Amino acid sequence: MQVRLGLLRLVDGAAPVLAAARGLLAAEGLEMRFSVEPSWATLADRLAWGALDAAVMLPPLALAAAAGLRGGGVPLVVPMGLSAGGNSIALGHAPAEAAAGGGGAVACGRRLLRWLRAQSAPPRFAVVHAFSTHAVLLRYWLAAAGADPDGDIEIVVVPPQHVTAALAEGRIAGFCAGAPWGEAAERSGAGRVLFGSSAIWQGQPEKCLALAAPWAAAHPAAVKGLLRALLQAGRICDRPAEADGLAALLAARLDLPEDAVRATLPGGQALERVRFAAGATWYPWLSQGAWWAAQMGRWGWLPPAADALALAHEVYRPDLLAPAAGELGLPWPVAGAKTEGGHSCPWRLPGNPEPLPLEADQFCDSLIYSENGQILQGVPTH
Amino acid sequence: MVLARLRCVKILLADDDAARARALARALAEDPTLHVVRIPRGRPLAEAVAAEAPDVVLVDMAHADRDALEGVRALSARAPHPVVLFVDQDDPAFMEQAIAAGVCSYNVLGMPPPDVKPILRAAIALFRHHQRAHSELAERRVLERAKAVLIRERSIGEPAAHRWLQRQAMLRGRRLVEVAREVLRARGEAEEA
Repeated sequence: MQVRLGLLRLVDGAAPVLAAARGLLAAEGLEMRFSVEPSWATLADRLAWGALDAAVMLPPLALAAAAGLRGGGVPLVVPMGLSAGGNSIALGHAPAEAAAGGGGAVACGRRLLRWLRAQSAPPRFAVVHAFSTHAVLLRYWLAAAGADPDGDIEIVVVPPQHVTAALAEGRIAGFCAGAPWGEAAERSGAGRVLFGSSAIWQGQPEKCLALAAPWAAAHPAAVKGLLRALLQAGRICDRPAEADGLAALLAARLDLPEDAVRATLPGGQALERVRFAAGATWYPWLSQGAWWAAQMGRWGWLPPAADALALAHEVYRPDLLAPAAGELGLPWPVAGAKTEGGHSCPWRLPGNPEPLPLEADQFCDSLIYSENGQILQGVPTH
Repeated sequence: MVLARLRCVKILLADDDAARARALARALAEDPTLHVVRIPRGRPLAEAVAAEAPDVVLVDMAHADRDALEGVRALSARAPHPVVLFVDQDDPAFMEQAIAAGVCSYNVLGMPPPDVKPILRAAIALFRHHQRAHSELAERRVLERAKAVLIRERSIGEPAAHRWLQRQAMLRGRRLVEVAREVLRARGEAEEA
């Protein structure tokens, strides 16, 4: 059976690309038809109107689409996480110099804020889509440092493949984008990577798999096969020994700069690297969906908190993943939601038949969030 | 003034395919109530929208600046002018066709201007026409390349190569261009030049 999957030219689309190249999908009786999309808007439209069955998606964009913020179309569901981390905050040379120094992301942000306010007009910062993890993380960080993301900077949208040029030409002061574009900006001399997104939220969930809900409902066997293949592919993508081959594969299939890709894969040299499966990245945590939804509500993109939580629970569907994960013998959490933040080193969460090994998940402002995405503990600085 | 009463609709046209954009602009220009502005190649779409404040944006679905266009409405605190391109949301089949035709839909203010439908239909018809012309041209190229291969391999003339392809197509109940594609594929040549 054929599955039509859309993705953008980014490192975190590695799992499906590898699953196809290694025959993991063929073993499930599936043939993947890839559609490399020029923009998130195109990807979301195609998924919403039945021209794609599946997509490598940004969680906030999936939530925005499900909430009807982009117009009509078929509902979508998120049965699986595909990657964590890998984004960079890159700045032009002048702001980078102003912000650099010790003390973590918030201290950098405070130094940057002084530079921002010394400019004649709010400097422009680029994200890759309005409803992106990048937009949420950039806002989260600046707000934690005492800045007003709607006043101290102007946020603009620039496609990921164009951010490096925009930075080099001085059209933007900085950007937050996925791998390998921060690394590429640094290598080309356009600017500097201040830090990776893990400095804002350690191991932040990044891309997820989104499925057109009617397609998923009509083809449960294909869904299970697809998820099994992607679960296995994610584990392979995590092995540093596979990184050279994977970098070459992604460079060839997605037309990406191979060196920069290699650096951002597990075991690479980049400041921020992508994680694919480890730390139960594959699990579609309800608490993470709730966190994104709550943050979207914070900036006025979504209706009030209660609705945002209901939306996250409607879109995030661990029940769809359970059969595939069970067959592969993956540990399954006792609860599908957890607190987010507060762990400065790897920890374990109760699961069956054994606990799940999770990674550190601290926020730059040390806050801890409840299963519903609300501040649970800590002194809110914003 | 007569013109002012005509409720002129300003259309911003963003399409990197110059021939298609010209054709579309020509078709729309026939209607005196439409004022069409084309974006020069390379000018960021969001910037043009801010400067021109159009009533309607006709944008190529595959335009890389589409995310930026979505950003104009989602990120900007000030309400942007309507960025349209539409299809009724209650008609998914029509929308699907629109997407297949390379047209995309936007609905910023919630409601399309009353007269957007004929504009869109004209746009879609043109996109389709252009697409069809484009694919016919591509098929002719495939056929010519397959013939060239046969002429070279078998030392035969062009009419004989054409007859061979026709015979194969007839015998196997396939389209001529499908046989031509197979000829190229069997020799490891790219099917689309």
